[in-house]
Amino acid sequence: MTELLAPRLEYDDTLELIEDYHRRGWTDGLPIVPPTPDAVERFLDAAGLDAAEVLGSVPTREVVVTAEHAAINAVMAGCRPEYMPVVVAAVRAHLHEKANCHSTTGTLSGASQLIVINGPIRNDLDVGCTAGCFGPGWRANATIGRALRLVIRNVCRAIPGFLDRATFSTPARYSFCFGEDEEGSPWVPLHVERGLPAGSSAVTVHSVMVMLPSPDMVSRTPEGVLDSLARTMRRQGTAGDRWLGEGTNVVAVMGPEHRRYLVDAGWSKADARAYLWPKLTAPQQPGEGRVKLGSPEGLLLVAAGGPGMAETWVMFPHLAWAITEPVVRGGS
Amino acid sequence: MARLIGLDPTSGPLPEPKGGPAPRPATLDGAVVGLVANGLGEAEAFLSALYDELTASAAIAGVVPVLKSSVSVPPERDDWQRLTTEATVAITGFGG
Repeated sequence: MTELLAPRLEYDDTLELIEDYHRRGWTDGLPIVPPTPDAVERFLDAAGLDAAEVLGSVPTREVVVTAEHAAINAVMAGCRPEYMPVVVAAVRAHLHEKANCHSTTGTLSGASQLIVINGPIRNDLDVGCTAGCFGPGWRANATIGRALRLVIRNVCRAIPGFLDRATFSTPARYSFCFGEDEEGSPWVPLHVERGLPAGSSAVTVHSVMVMLPSPDMVSRTPEGVLDSLARTMRRQGTAGDRWLGEGTNVVAVMGPEHRRYLVDAGWSKADARAYLWPKLTAPQQPGEGRVKLGSPEGLLLVAAGGPGMAETWVMFPHLAWAITEPVVRGGS
Repeated sequence: MARLIGLDPTSGPLPEPKGGPAPRPATLDGAVVGLVANGLGEAEAFLSALYDELTASAAIAGVVPVLKSSVSVPPERDDWQRLTTEATVAITGFGG
């Protein structure tokens, strides 16, 4: 059994603990589940990690994030122990240098951290991938996303008014997590496109500056759907950044009413990117932003969402790369 | 009755601010002024205009302009070195 290192506090009952955690500023405003030593040990066991295992750091804040930190905050978020390997992967991804924790969690623009889950673990954990997947209704979506945000708040010190300087912030900072609808699409899943083996599980963490719908209820061809998507992307544009170079990403989440026109015509994700690329990189017109991606592969297409509305959602980046990290069950 | 134990979810107490605002110089006559632009919006133009105003009211001895290599990261080590060794005072901004 691993030795827990976090300071311990004593309470008479659960409500007293919850109220004290609120008072100390250790929650996002919602109630938490008490992170008892027994619960935290179960979470660490589920991931096969020692408490002191380092998941990453934020050098500008002199913060080192351990597995114990992640487990405590995952318990508080309402996760089940079996979610812990996903939480660990998300924390590791977010703490990648080019995921740029310091900037994306401190920014005035109030960027959110999107977690896309891929692979068989989605079904094992009942991760919402289809209708309503951006919203409430799935414990895994709600609590895995919340666990990452509580780590960002409690461990990485992104507290509103302190190191979180968001002007307005966003409700997506409570939790933003869903899975790719791999069963509803013949496309190569996101994590496999990014180099991980088919059949493996992974998360991709993307810091989202702006999310816009790209509705098109008229087009009935791949070209028409993608022309609409290109217009949405060019209207908003993406910021360039020397330090990030050409590694930034845009995530486009395509619902089934758009996907079917591409799939029925035999178009893959790569075909869609190849069609979009010259349209995204053509000279700017008045009123348009520049889409500064280094290559077509910088556009990450994800299948998700439910039927009814012909739309694709576009997640424009804050100053970070989208990072894909394998989910390792039972060990690091 | 057994007491309920909860674990501290943080990475430690929040650090206390180190020191307070720097003392306001009595004069900028003879000062070398650092200008640290964060890269957002018109930060460089704003700081340049502010510098012009300062030179109109004081005998500024020189300027150390710094433009961060990215809006998303702190100034680089060489820039800190230049500021701390060459500048008497430095001005930066928040936001864009």
